[in-house]
Amino acid sequence: METAKKNRQIANAYYNLGLAKAQHRDLCGAVKALKKSLRFDKYQTDARNLLGLIYHEVGEVGAAVAQWIISLNLQEQDNLAEEYLRKVHAGRGYLEVADQSAKKYNQALAYAQNENEDLAILLLMRVAAEMPNYVKAQELLALLFIHQENFTKAGRCLYQALKVDPYNPQALRYMTIVKQNTGKAEVERKKLKNAFSHRQMQDDDIILPPSYKENTGLQSVLNILAGLIMGAVVIFFLVMPASREALNSRHNEELLQKLEVINQKNIEIDSLHSQMESAEKAKEQAETSLASLLSDQGSTTGQYQKLVQILQAYRDGDLRTAALLYVELDLSVLNDGAVNDTVAWIQQDMEANGAQLLEQMGDEAFAQEGGAAQAAEYYQKSLLIQKDNPGALFKLGNAFQAQGNTEQANQYYGEVIMNYPDSEYAEQAKAQRGY
Amino acid sequence: MLDFEEEIRRFQPSLEVGEVEDAIVKEDLTDMTDLMVELLKSKKE
Repeated sequence: METAKKNRQIANAYYNLGLAKAQHRDLCGAVKALKKSLRFDKYQTDARNLLGLIYHEVGEVGAAVAQWIISLNLQEQDNLAEEYLRKVHAGRGYLEVADQSAKKYNQALAYAQNENEDLAILLLMRVAAEMPNYVKAQELLALLFIHQENFTKAGRCLYQALKVDPYNPQALRYMTIVKQNTGKAEVERKKLKNAFSHRQMQDDDIILPPSYKENTGLQSVLNILAGLIMGAVVIFFLVMPASREALNSRHNEELLQKLEVINQKNIEIDSLHSQMESAEKAKEQAETSLASLLSDQGSTTGQYQKLVQILQAYRDGDLRTAALLYVELDLSVLNDGAVNDTVAWIQQDMEANGAQLLEQMGDEAFAQEGGAAQAAEYYQKSLLIQKDNPGALFKLGNAFQAQGNTEQANQYYGEVIMNYPDSEYAEQAKAQRGY
Repeated sequence: MLDFEEEIRRFQPSLEVGEVEDAIVKEDLTDMTDLMVELLKSKKE
């Protein structure tokens, strides 16, 4: 009896320990203590009920129901287990969901043990969605994610598990590995350094990871809108000015090229205008020259006409006409190579005979009544051919004298006297002049 | 780091609701008192 009493005392002690741990949320520790309590006294109803409660809390609904049923069998009266079972059965479809979750977990475990990790993950993700407090499922899922080096997802699963059972050693161990691989350990170490704390951190102190927010659909839409707006702003302020600048530059370049071409054309047009003006001037000059040539007797054409007349006069034997025409001839104009010989012959003949002939014509005119003027003309023409002729000079003076032009006469008399003092006409000139 | 195989082995299947009856039947409810009684019985024999 003493032993039984002692067993009950030990059982009670373990129950108290389990209760304390459960209240502290150390569910794994509470389970161990409560099992020990039941080992010492299977009739420790409270321990069994609490054990069931803890199983239910961590998502092991089947195990919880089993403990409560056993508790009810061992103590039918005044037993909280009855109430727990009623509540579990009352929840609509709750037992069904719990049962399905357990089945999926078992199937996922089998997949994982047979290296079908992807299938296991798919099943466990559904379980975790339906029963996020199912600690074992979260741990197994975390393990699979860690094995696939998807530490972020593993961290999420472990966070859910540690929310339920913060002192779960397996979850804590996995979480340490996850933090090491995501750098979270370092971040938290730094946070810890700056954290204000009333007490010093112990080795077994746990730092729960910050909550992680999944991107909701609305957030995604907002992010996309923000991205679009920023993109539009970047294009408007950065891309468009540069693009406009490039377009303007290209346009200006093309414009410059066109202007260059236009300028060239303008220069050509000016040049052509200038050439046209020159051509018109030349044409006018040519026309003027032609008109002049055609109209002016002193012009080249006139001279050639005279030459032709002189030759005609020679042919006709009319030397007097030839001589009269010869005196009007401008030999400098007749420099055409074709007529040079003819002109030379005429010149030679005229110089030999023309002056004398004209002087004779002057004498014949002077002899006639009122022929002094005509005689003076003939004498002058004679002097044109042969200017060193004192006789013609004297006779010219006489012609002017006869016309009453004493001054002119004296001029010619004086010329005879001065230039030809030894000639026979000098004395006659003196006599005519009177001194 | 983790030994995946070893860790997987640590995981035990969960009790499904349909298996509760079998589990209760198979549950070993022997406690210390029962053991002490057995010991005393065997000692007496």
